[in-house]
This record gives sequence, C-alpha cells and structure tokens, in this order.
Amino acid sequence: MHVSTTSFSHNFLYEIQNLESQQSALQQETTTGLKVTQPEDNPSVMDQVLNLQTEAGANTQYQSNITQIQSSATTASDALNSLQTLVEQAGEIATDANGVNSSTQLSTYATQVGQLVQEALQIANTQDAQGNYIFAGTDTASAPFSATTDANGNVSAVTYNGNTSVAQSEIARGLTVTAQNPGENNTGAGTEGVFADSRTGADIFSHLIALQQDLTSGNTSAISSTVGPGLTTDEDHVVTQISGNAVLQSTLEATGNVAAQNSTSIESQMSNDTSADLATTLTQLSQTQTAYQAALESGTMVMQTSLLNYLT
Amino acid sequence: MSARSLAVQQEEMTVSGQNLANVNNNNYSEEQLEVSESSPLETSFGDEGTGDQINGISDSRNPLLDGQIQAESSTSGSLTAQQTNLQYAEAYLDEQISSSSSSPTADSPNGLAADMSNLFDSFQSLSNDPGDLSLRQTAVESAQQVTAQFNQVATQLSTVQANLNTSVQNDVGSANQDLSSIATLNQQIVAAQASGGSADQLVDQREQTLENLAGLANFSTTTEANGAVNVNIGGVPMVSGGNVSDNLQTYADSNGNLQVQAQNAGTQITLTGGSIGGEITARDGALASLQSGLNTLASQLMTQVNTIYSAGYDLNGNTGQDLFTGTNASDIAVNSTVANDPSQFQAAGAAGAAGDNSVVLSLAELGSQNIAGLNNQTFSANYAQTVSNLGNSISTVNNQLTNSQAVTQMLTNERSSTSGVSTDTEMTNLIQYQKAYEASAEMITTLNEMLQTVVAMKSV
Repeated sequence: MHVSTTSFSHNFLYEIQNLESQQSALQQETTTGLKVTQPEDNPSVMDQVLNLQTEAGANTQYQSNITQIQSSATTASDALNSLQTLVEQAGEIATDANGVNSSTQLSTYATQVGQLVQEALQIANTQDAQGNYIFAGTDTASAPFSATTDANGNVSAVTYNGNTSVAQSEIARGLTVTAQNPGENNTGAGTEGVFADSRTGADIFSHLIALQQDLTSGNTSAISSTVGPGLTTDEDHVVTQISGNAVLQSTLEATGNVAAQNSTSIESQMSNDTSADLATTLTQLSQTQTAYQAALESGTMVMQTSLLNYLT
Repeated sequence: MSARSLAVQQEEMTVSGQNLANVNNNNYSEEQLEVSESSPLETSFGDEGTGDQINGISDSRNPLLDGQIQAESSTSGSLTAQQTNLQYAEAYLDEQISSSSSSPTADSPNGLAADMSNLFDSFQSLSNDPGDLSLRQTAVESAQQVTAQFNQVATQLSTVQANLNTSVQNDVGSANQDLSSIATLNQQIVAAQASGGSADQLVDQREQTLENLAGLANFSTTTEANGAVNVNIGGVPMVSGGNVSDNLQTYADSNGNLQVQAQNAGTQITLTGGSIGGEITARDGALASLQSGLNTLASQLMTQVNTIYSAGYDLNGNTGQDLFTGTNASDIAVNSTVANDPSQFQAAGAAGAAGDNSVVLSLAELGSQNIAGLNNQTFSANYAQTVSNLGNSISTVNNQLTNSQAVTQMLTNERSSTSGVSTDTEMTNLIQYQKAYEASAEMITTLNEMLQTVVAMKSV
C-alpha cells in the first residue's frame, strides 16, 4: 500500500487531537469533581438534576414554613397555658365564694376577678414575633378584643372584633395546617374560638365579668348556680385548645423530620447523578496521558526518518 | 533512439520534480508519465525496437473516492454548523451544574429553573404572613426575576436565529461563487483536453472547489465525456458544462426566516447537507423548538397565575388586577402597579383581613400542580424537559460529528494512498531515472566512438 508523506502526519495529528481532547475532558472532570456539567453532556441527568433542585428548594421552603408556624404555635401554647391558670383561679374564687357572707371578703374577691379580667384581655390580644394578633382569625393587623368600662373603671363588656376564618400554610406537598385561632366563634362552624364558642358553651369574658358583678352585688347563689358551672365549662374548653395545640406541634415536628430526611435523600441523589468517581477518572486520565506521551514520542521518531537521511 | 530515451528520462525527472514540489499540497494528485514502446521498425530480420515514447502525463485521481469525500464534507459541514449554533443557545440558557449540591442557588443561580423555584417559594413565604410588606416586596421581585430572565433568553435566542439567517445569506453567496468557478474551470478543462493536452492542475483545482461547495451545500454530479462536471443541487442543474445554468437564492418564509430556492427555476430547494443545510436545520428544528417551548411556558405561567391572582384582594381591599402582563417569553412583565406598590399584591381571598392568605396560598400550590397546557407537567418539570431536549439535540449532533470526522479521516487516507505523493518513492524514482539517463548518455558516447572509428577507417 502506497503511503504518502503527508498521510502519516495527518493521521498523527488526528490521533493526537483525539487524545488531547480526551485528556482535557478527564482533566475537567477531576478538577470539578463532576461528570456532568452541561445539558449536552448527559441530557437525562440534566433533566433529573433540574427537577431535584426544584424539589430541594420546595423542601427547604416547607422546613422554613414549619419553623415559622412552630414559633406561632409556641406563642399560642404559652398564652393558652396562662389562660388555663387564670380560668382555674377564677373557678377557685367562685367555689370559695360559696357560702361567704362577709361583703368585705366578697369585695376582695371581686377586685381579684377584676385583675383576672385585665390579664385575660392582655392574653387575648397576644401578638406573635411578626406583630400579628394570634387570636383574631385572619384579621391579624388589629387587636381583636376591646373592653367597655363602666363609671367605676370596671370592665362591663368585652367585644370581639376579629373574624372566624383561619389561614392555612403548606408544610408538605398537599398538607396544610394553621396556627391561627379565632378569638371567638359563635357561628357554629369552623375552627373553635378560644375565648368563646357556641358549640361548647364556653364564654370566658362573659363569665368572668358576670363573676365580678355577682361578687360585687353579693349574689352568691347566682355564682354557684350559673357562673361556677360556666367557668368549669371554660376550663374544659381551654384544656381542649391546649391539647389541639399539642397535636399541631407534634405534627409539625414529625413533618419537619420527614422534610429533613427528604433533604438528605435529595442531596445523595444529586451526588450520585453528578459526582465523578475520582478513582476511575484518575486512572483513565493517567492512561490517556501515557498514550499521549507515547504517541508524541513515536510520532516524532517516525516523522524524522526518511530516505533523504540516507542519500548522500 | 537514445536521444529520444534521454528526452524521456529527462521528462520523467521533471514529473518527479513536480510531484516532490507538491508533496505537501493536499489537493494535488500524484502525476505519472505514461511511457510506452515506440513503433518498431520493420526489417528483414524482424521488428527492430526504436526505444520508448511519451504518451502523456496522467494523474491518479479516483473519482469514486472524490465523490465520497464530497458527500462526507457535506455531512460534516452541516453537523458543524448545527453544533456551533446549538451550543450558543445552550450557553444562553445558562443551565449548568457547577457543584453536586442540590441547592438551586448553588448552580446556575440566574437560570429560569432557579428563578421559577424562587418565585413559588416566595409565594409560600408570603402565605405565612401575608400582611408583611417586605415579604410582598420579595414576592414581587421574584416575579420580576422570572420575567427578566424570560425576556433575556428570548432576546438572545432571537439573536442566534438572526445570526443563522445571516450565515445562510453569506453561505449562499459563497456557494454561488463556487458554482461560477466550477463552470469556468469546466470550460478550461474541456478546451485543454480537446486539444490533446492534459489538464491535471485544473482538475485538482476544480476538485478543491467542489469540496468547498460540498461543505456549503450538498449536491450530485455527473461527468461528461469531454471532461466537464455538471453540478445539480436539489434536483436543479446549477452548472452545465461551462455555463452556470442556475444559482441559489434566499427568500423569506412566513416566519421571516430565510429558505433557499433556485433563482431561475423558482423551485424551493431543501438542503440536507452542507453548512447552509445545517444552519436551516438548526434554526427551524432544535432552536425553534426551544423558542416555542419557552413561549408556551411563559404564556401558561401568565395565564394560570393571573387567573388565581386577579380574584384576590390587596391590602386596600381592591381586586381585579393581573400580576403578569404580556403574551410570550419576550414581552412577559410584572404589572407595574404592583411592582411600584407591594401593598397592592392581591394575596387575600376577601377584603378586610390582613391575615387572609387564601389567594397567595393557591399561587404557592400552583408550583406543584400539573398544568394541562404543559402536557400535564409542572412548570419546572416542563422547563427541565425543554432544557434536556436541547441537550439531546446537541448530544446527537456531537456523536454524529465525531463519526463523520472519523469517516472523513479514513476517506482522506484512502485518497492519500492512491494519489498522495511519497517522498521516498519519488527519491527512489529520481535515482532510477538518473541511472537510466546516464546509461542512455553512455549509449550515445559509445555510438559516437564507433562512428568515429568508421570515419577514421575511411580517411586512412
């Protein structure tokens, strides 16, 4: 077979260029630690990676939602616990007042209940870390409870200005929860109101105010027949609210754990899809470099030899 | 006889010299002197030889191989044009992996995938505290990032499209120049061969021009008996003998893109090879799919978001505005009223309650829903598929181009072995002819001495 002078150098160049580009690709893989960088490198991996990244972003967002709701739930839980203590105290006073005749004593009790009403008002207007009122339904920008005072400076009525809607938040795909509560709900449907709900018969402010007024007027029979049982209902109601809150917090924790696991599994999938196996890559790089050197050495040796060297 | 032999050897050496001079010329085909015995003299004791004679100089071209190389040039010309331009489109998309972390902001923080992910995440954040002005601001800014990226990519892809059209125009001009050269060379070759001479250099030149043309557009050829090569593109004769019978011409189609037709015949020409064919394929194939995919995505995003959003209420109790304006990827934008005043972001389901998030919650959930207008994919899955489709197109072209380059290499080697010049062969030949020349010269010297002897005999 006739071998022309230029065909050798053309072949040599072609092979050298192939080796150089293989070397360069392997070098890049070693430096970046990635076996896929562009869509053209591996289109189906690129597709998966883009989807995984979106999922990771959503997952991180769910975790952030959970943290925020957790914080609201904790604020609510503290408020509810204080409220429970307060209602228990009122209940004890109601019990103690039974059979007391001294008007001085009853007057002292009335003053104590007056303070409890003020405390309850403060609890009712609790705000979370963002400044939103937590017992207002979705009407979170303004204080939900306002009091009317009489000529003696005692609270005669408390009005609820919030609504009975609550806002949901997504904590996992398709799963929403709310940390909001309406302050009162007398519509008979929806989330239970904390301070009053027509379904359970709870009505904390009304009962506290009635207790104070009955103590002031010395109407101990009304206390034992109406207000006392009312306050008992209120206590049970608050306990229900507290356990509801506890259920919410444990849901949040469980969902948070799942989200953390998802995060880990997404990271590991990403890593499997994109990370270069350094051991294999370095071996291949070393082999390619050896082949490249050998090609260069042998090529230059052959190219320099021709008949002209031997003709004098 | 010896004198003629001297002339023959001298001519052999000239041809070897010519071959050696062109050893590095890739378009050159090795020449050989055709030598045969000259007509014998009839004598009474049989045919007496009269030496040798030159019949001509032939070249060693293989037309079959030339044709295969032309075809392969068309293929690799087309693939190279596609690869280059589609890689520009890939670069403009800016979706790359730079780390194996799954955080969207770790890789391609400016790509549409990250922008859309951020948009829906910002709706989520806002749904937790819909009255918060800074979260509203963030949501509006996320929306602006998305629209800005859509606009930018659309503009850049339009630029690629425009460049492809310019390339088609330029390449058609070059192809027409090549057609004209081939016709001229045909004329010269036919004239040279008709007068009995050889036209090897002209044939080599014509072959080079044909290969150049093949890299621009695919064609078929027929060879006439008089040595002319006729060129036929898309079924239309372009070069017939020494005349250019037609030219390539561009015209704008209904999308404003340039297509190719025959100038005189008026018929549309569909090129399947050459850089012109490749540019048109890339532009009307993978690039067009990419542009249309992005337009559909932008349009669906706008429609679905606006449907939910326009029913929402802002902090002032107003409703009815759209969040996105525009029709497709190049003009999608955020409504300027909400851009200037985030309190007008319609997050609530009803007026009056700052904590009402029902509309922005629906917007957040939209990110994980399957959209009917996007083949029942989510926005991000649809985008990921568009990106990977482009990746597939490029990857296919890359593989085909590697194969084509290997085939070209093989064919070039084949041609080189039939018609390439080998220095060693030519040097050996030179030595051979030099010895033959010396022998013939010696023959003449001997004859001369013999003649002198005979003449000397007479003078004594």
